[in-house]
Amino acid sequence: MSMYITVFLRIMLLLSFSVMVFDFLRVEQLFIQMDRGYIDGFEVFITRWPGVIFIIIAILFVIINIVQFILVRRNKHSILNAFLAAEYDVSDERAVQITHKAVSNAFVFILVYSFFIIGSYMFIPNYFVDYIWYPLFTTASIPIVGLLTYLISFKVLQHK
Amino acid sequence: MLTNRVKELRARFNLTQSGLAENVGVTRQTIVSLEKGSYTPSLLLAMNIAEVFDMPIERIFSKEEKKK
Repeated sequence: MSMYITVFLRIMLLLSFSVMVFDFLRVEQLFIQMDRGYIDGFEVFITRWPGVIFIIIAILFVIINIVQFILVRRNKHSILNAFLAAEYDVSDERAVQITHKAVSNAFVFILVYSFFIIGSYMFIPNYFVDYIWYPLFTTASIPIVGLLTYLISFKVLQHK
Repeated sequence: MLTNRVKELRARFNLTQSGLAENVGVTRQTIVSLEKGSYTPSLLLAMNIAEVFDMPIERIFSKEEKKK
């Protein structure tokens, strides 16, 4: 199974889920504002496509995970005990070694990236009111950045 | 640094990269990077390769000091 497909699906899953949560938070926020007397009423339009995309991708992702697991089990060269996620390549000992290195790189990148993301909250102190999307999407960006770092590292190491 | 004679021996035994990979239980890409010298195999893989070529490991793999 192509790693590009699994990484893309995982990113789309995270993004569509974030948009769904964002819609929910937006409505909740309006209700709270109305409850506290800041607004008398509100109108809101909820788009259905993030939910539809989320369900489709979630189903696809589960199917791909199952197929991947079956393929790994069938391949006699695979190192089954190293298989933790569909993104992991465990086709032989070199693939497992590269996966470990790529995961290490992604981990370090996430550590550095999170530091800057947390720091960035200083510059948007009123994000709970005006920029409700900011903490949500920056949080969602952490695993996405990690996944992209993993993918790039893996492909670079694989072609060495 | 570990150097090896896998490419030379593979040619002598008339084996393709895929054939050798199949015999020792790895992917062809692993054999490619092994021959290029960019991958250091595990002891198990080295023993499997030695078994295929019916030679002691030290005649296939040798240690080489890094050039300064």
